[in-house]
Amino acid sequence: MSIDDEPTWLVGLRDRGRQALASAAMPGPKDEDWKYVDIDFVLDDFRPATEPSGGLDRDEYLEAVGEVSGGLTMVDGTVVDVEAGEIEVHRPADVPDGGLASLYGSMVSPEVDVFAAANHAMAPPGAVVRIPAGRTLAAPVVVDIQAVTAGSVSFPHLTVVGGPDSEASVVVLYRSAPGAELLVSPIVEALAGRGARLSVSVVQNLSEQARMVAHHQYVTERDSTLRIGEVGLGGLYARQRLGISLAGRGSSVQMGGIYFGDGSQVLDYRIYVTHQGPRTTSNIFLKGAVADNASAVWTGLMRIEKGAVGTSAFETNRNLVISDAAKVNSVPNLEILTDDLQCGHGSSSGPLDEQQLYYLMSRGLPRDPAERLLVRGFFNEILSGLAVPDLAAPSRRAVSAKFAGAQQRAAS
Amino acid sequence: MSRTALQVQGLRASIGGLGILKGVDLEVPFGEVHAIMGPNGSGKSTLCHVLAGKLGYEVSGAMAVDGASIADLDVYQRAQAGLFQAFQYPVGIPGLDLAVLLEEAAVALGAGPEEARERIATQTRRLGMERFLNRSVNGDLSGGEKKRSEVFQLAVLEPRVMVLDEIDSGLDIDSVREVAGAVEEMRSEEVAILMITHYSRILNYVRPDRVHIMMNGQIVDSGGPELADELEDGGYSAVRSRLGMTAPKVASRTPSVSDFFTDTPFDL
Repeated sequence: MSIDDEPTWLVGLRDRGRQALASAAMPGPKDEDWKYVDIDFVLDDFRPATEPSGGLDRDEYLEAVGEVSGGLTMVDGTVVDVEAGEIEVHRPADVPDGGLASLYGSMVSPEVDVFAAANHAMAPPGAVVRIPAGRTLAAPVVVDIQAVTAGSVSFPHLTVVGGPDSEASVVVLYRSAPGAELLVSPIVEALAGRGARLSVSVVQNLSEQARMVAHHQYVTERDSTLRIGEVGLGGLYARQRLGISLAGRGSSVQMGGIYFGDGSQVLDYRIYVTHQGPRTTSNIFLKGAVADNASAVWTGLMRIEKGAVGTSAFETNRNLVISDAAKVNSVPNLEILTDDLQCGHGSSSGPLDEQQLYYLMSRGLPRDPAERLLVRGFFNEILSGLAVPDLAAPSRRAVSAKFAGAQQRAAS
Repeated sequence: MSRTALQVQGLRASIGGLGILKGVDLEVPFGEVHAIMGPNGSGKSTLCHVLAGKLGYEVSGAMAVDGASIADLDVYQRAQAGLFQAFQYPVGIPGLDLAVLLEEAAVALGAGPEEARERIATQTRRLGMERFLNRSVNGDLSGGEKKRSEVFQLAVLEPRVMVLDEIDSGLDIDSVREVAGAVEEMRSEEVAILMITHYSRILNYVRPDRVHIMMNGQIVDSGGPELADELEDGGYSAVRSRLGMTAPKVASRTPSVSDFFTDTPFDL
C-alpha cells in the first residue's frame, strides 16, 4: 500500500498535515514549547526516507526481553515485519471502520509543530496494535522502530490500543544505524481502554549521530491504569513531547523514567499531564544525569481541569550534574482549575552528594567506585520498578558504561 | 599491655577557624574496648570524623593504626588500613542495596568475591539481617534499624579498629542490649573498639576496659569502668568539680562552636 491508495479517512488526515506543514515554521527558543534548546538543524536538511533496503541486527534490549506476545518492526518508518501473536496488528488500509479508524492519528494534532505536521503529511502507513478486550498478555509486545538510512528523515507512526479490561506491556524501542546522521520524527499514540492495565515502555537507544523529535500522546479511559517507562540514552539531540490525558474517571498514570546524556548530547523532555476526569491520579518521576558537555531539559506541566475533582497529581524530576560544563533545565509547572485535589511537584539538579560519598568511602571504596555505586543507586530507584523488568539490566549496563566513560574523560 | 591499635597524639581540628579538638591524646591497644564520654558539643563526633578522614576540617597532630600513620590517607585508605566508623547518623542511599555495598566494600578491603559473599551470608544469619540485604542502604530504616545495619556492616567488613559513634543513641533499651551484644561478640585480641557515647547506659552491656572523658575538645580524665559509674551518679558536673573545672558560663566567654551546635543532631 502506498500513500496514494489510502482510505478516505486517512486522506483527510494527510490533507490536514500538508496544510499545517505548509504554514509551519521551524521552531526556535522563543517558542514556549522549545525554550532552553537551540536546535541546529531544519527538517529540509534531511531527505524523506524511501522504502528501506535492510534492517539492524537484534540488540541487547531485544535479547533481554526474549519471548514476546507479538510485535512489529518498522525501518525508516515503513512497517517491514509483523508478528501478530496474541495481539491484533492493523494497517491503516484495513482498520475496521469506527473506533480504531477514528483513533489513528487523532491524538497528536498536526498543528503542534512542523515535525508533527510532517509526520501526518508524509508518514508511510503505520500500524495499530490492539490488545483484545479482556486479554491478559504474559509477555510484552515489542515494537522495534529502526532508522537506518544516513541523511534521511523518517516518520514512524504507531497507535496502541489496550482493549477494555486487557492487561499488557508494550515496549517501544528506538534505535538507529551506528554512525548514520539522520532524523527520526515519530508519532506514538496509546489508549488505555476502560478498565485496561496497560504499560508503555520507551527505550531510546539511538546511535550517537541520530536526532529525534518524537510526539507521544497517551489517553486513559475510565478506571484504566497506565504505566509509562522511559529510558533515554542515545541521540545527538533527542526530544520527546509527551502528552498524557487522564480522560476517564478513576484512571491513573504512573511514569518512571531515566535518561543519561554525555558527550554533547541534548536530551529534551516536554511532559504535559492533563487531568480531565474526576478522581484521576498521576505520578511522574524522572531521574537524569548529564556529563561532559551534555544538557537535559525537562519541563512538566500538570493541568488539572475543572471537572477533575478528587485528583491526585505529583511530578518529580531529579538530575545529577556530573561535570561543570553539563547543564540542566528542570521546570515543573502547575495549572489548576479545580480546588479539590492533592498536588505536588519537585525538581532538583546537582552533583553527587558528598555525605553519601563520604559514607561509601568510609567503607573502603575509593572515590571512583563509590561514585559509580551512587550513580547506580540513583538510577536503580527507577529501573527496579520498570513495568518490564527485563529492560532494567541492559539499562543499568548502559548508564554504568556512560558514567565510567565520563569519569575517565574527566580524569584525563 | 599489648600492641597499640589506635594511637592519637596532640590531635587538633578546627572548622572555619573554630577550634573543636584542642589536643587529644589517646591510645587503644588491641583486645580492648575504650569508651569516650562527654557532654554535647564536646567534640566526640568530630573526633570520629577526623579519625575517619572526613574533608572540611583543618587537622594537625598524629593518628596511627597499628603503628602506621593514617594522617595523610584518604577516607577509603583509612578504611583499608583497618579503621571503620559506625556513623551516628548514617546517610540514606536510595536505590543502593546493602548487599551490593557490602560485597563491593569487602572486595575493596581485600576479600575475594567468594569470601565476601560467604561473610555476608554468615553475618546475615548470625545477626538476623535477611530483610535488610535487599533494601536500600539506610533507606526507610528506623533509628534502631540503622544502628543494627552499622553493626552488621562492622561484622562483615572485619575492621581492626572500630570507632562507634553513639551507636546507642535513639535506641530503646531492648535495642541497646541487642546492639551491645553484637559489639561485645566482636571483642577479640585482633580488634580495638572505641565507643563514643553520651550515656553510660550501653556500658552496662559492653564493659569498657578504659573510660575517657572529653570536654571542650580535650580528654580531661581517663580511668577504669568505675569512671562511667561516677558519671552515672553525679553527671558531668561531678567530674568537673572533682577536676576543679568551672562549668562553662556562656555569657562570660568568647562564643565557641559548641555554643551553636549544642546538641547531637548537628553532626559535629
